[in-house]
Amino acid sequence: MIVELSVALSIGAGLFAVGLYGALSQTNLVMIMMGIELILAAALVNLVAFWRYLHPDAMSGQMFVLIVMTVMAVEMAVGFAIAIARFRSRGSVEMEEARELKG
Amino acid sequence: MTGSVAELFFLAFFGLAAIWFGIVVFRTHSMVRSALALLFSQTAIGAMFLVMQAEFLGVLQIMMMATEMSVMALFMVMFMMDPGGMGAMDMSHQKRLSLRAGGVGLLAALAVSWLPDWGPAAINIPSAARQTELLGIELLGRSMFIFESAGLTILTSMIAATMVAIAPRKSGVTHDC
Amino acid sequence: MNIVIILLTLAMGVYFIAIVEGWAVHGRISLSRPALSALALFGRESLLVRTPDRLFFEAGPILLLVVGLLAMAVIPLAPGLIITDLATGALFLNAALAYVLVALIMAGWGPNGGYAMIGGWRFLGQFIAYAMLIVMPITAVAMRAESLSTTVIVTSQAQLWNVFYQPIGFVLFVLAAMALAWLPPLDLPNAPGDLAGGFEAEYTGVRLAVLRLARMVIILAMAGAIVTFYLGGWLGPWLPGWLWSIIKMLIVTTAMLTTGRLVPRVREANLLAAGWKLGIPLALANIFLVGVIALVVDI
Repeated sequence: MIVELSVALSIGAGLFAVGLYGALSQTNLVMIMMGIELILAAALVNLVAFWRYLHPDAMSGQMFVLIVMTVMAVEMAVGFAIAIARFRSRGSVEMEEARELKG
Repeated sequence: MTGSVAELFFLAFFGLAAIWFGIVVFRTHSMVRSALALLFSQTAIGAMFLVMQAEFLGVLQIMMMATEMSVMALFMVMFMMDPGGMGAMDMSHQKRLSLRAGGVGLLAALAVSWLPDWGPAAINIPSAARQTELLGIELLGRSMFIFESAGLTILTSMIAATMVAIAPRKSGVTHDC
Repeated sequence: MNIVIILLTLAMGVYFIAIVEGWAVHGRISLSRPALSALALFGRESLLVRTPDRLFFEAGPILLLVVGLLAMAVIPLAPGLIITDLATGALFLNAALAYVLVALIMAGWGPNGGYAMIGGWRFLGQFIAYAMLIVMPITAVAMRAESLSTTVIVTSQAQLWNVFYQPIGFVLFVLAAMALAWLPPLDLPNAPGDLAGGFEAEYTGVRLAVLRLARMVIILAMAGAIVTFYLGGWLGPWLPGWLWSIIKMLIVTTAMLTTGRLVPRVREANLLAAGWKLGIPLALANIFLVGVIALVVDI
């Protein structure tokens, strides 16, 4: 039982829950992306905690963190591009008004 | 032992700050406040990394998020109907479902993190300078392919994002900008 | 003890910057003017605009000051005369400076005024133009030193200063530093003359004093970064190390404050185009060249 690890993982769980709530409850695309950022941040916390308390000699843990940061940046770039395209064609990025994308 | 208590305290402190700012993101009406609350949440996570002696990653997280979230603030102001939050508009839907999903996610994640036996804690952490060096060797050695594909992914997404965002040219209409 | 010495140096440097800036703007050298105008600012009423975002309005100038002080914390004035010698000092400097943007956006959004907000968002555009030109030259510097620690970076220049080793990086970094400290001709966020003070427009009294002080600390921190990364820090003959650092920093600040005023202000779009079409390829070429030189020549 490692107390620090448990605390860090619980923090990660809390961030994940807040992010999940945000991503599901918000109507605006940009706000939904904020929720996803929080979920990815929770993943970051867990990765660093596992690296620190279980395998500090294996640097692939830190590398994984860099990859997740890349994913965050890519998600932002693509998400904003879609938001711009959507705003240009429909004048809003409200997800309630995007039902025609349902197919 | 005192080091461990201090570590535990700061870990919990910055972690709770991160969660609190995360909640503020979805509670405030002002969009700039919302984006900057997310920034401070991420910064608190970076501080947690520093507490966990991952100095390079902590500083990197603090640096990257400043830019990312400032850009986010700009987009919020551009795309929201009420960026200043003066009208106190409600911008959420399916609240009960979301709350339940969040609660279930929290319980599941907590159960997974508390139930298993993680074994003994590691003691020997490499020094910050050694960590940076080892990370570089890892990135350009064993994990080079993954690292390069991450770089390629960023390049692809930059090009794709620009293409999606660029205004479609209408024939006969000239844009002056 | 180190902290006290460095803070005293900082205070003197800030006063010097105020004098030089007064000289550059008004053409007169007056030793008492900065103190008098600071006193005047403290005596003046500190107005609060109607319906501000109070939190950001108050926090903006303070965050700017804190950021400047944090950036100064990793700049060595002499061997051992440094507040924290972090193993990732160069990256930390970068991280601290990224928050200049956050502070300016807060200061621009807070007062609920048009000019202020345009100033804040303009700095975001300016940041996108110069950010890569801060990071990439520092990468090349760290490649030569084989370390991110600022003291190791200085000692790596014992044979040859980086300004001669990687002149492209030096030029890019100085320009980016001037953009970061919004010095003319890159003073888009406050732009005296066309934006009525920009993000400073709604600040008066003590808050304006804090804002101006923070800006001078940032100029000094940028000069310290240029000296540390490119001009050999404390290295130099005859004089003691700390004196060399201070002399070099003062020369760099004077050059940054005066030369830019001879050039007309750059338009935002042109700055972005130059930063991405010219600056980033040059910075990448600089990294490549430094890598080749570091592999081939042993200095």
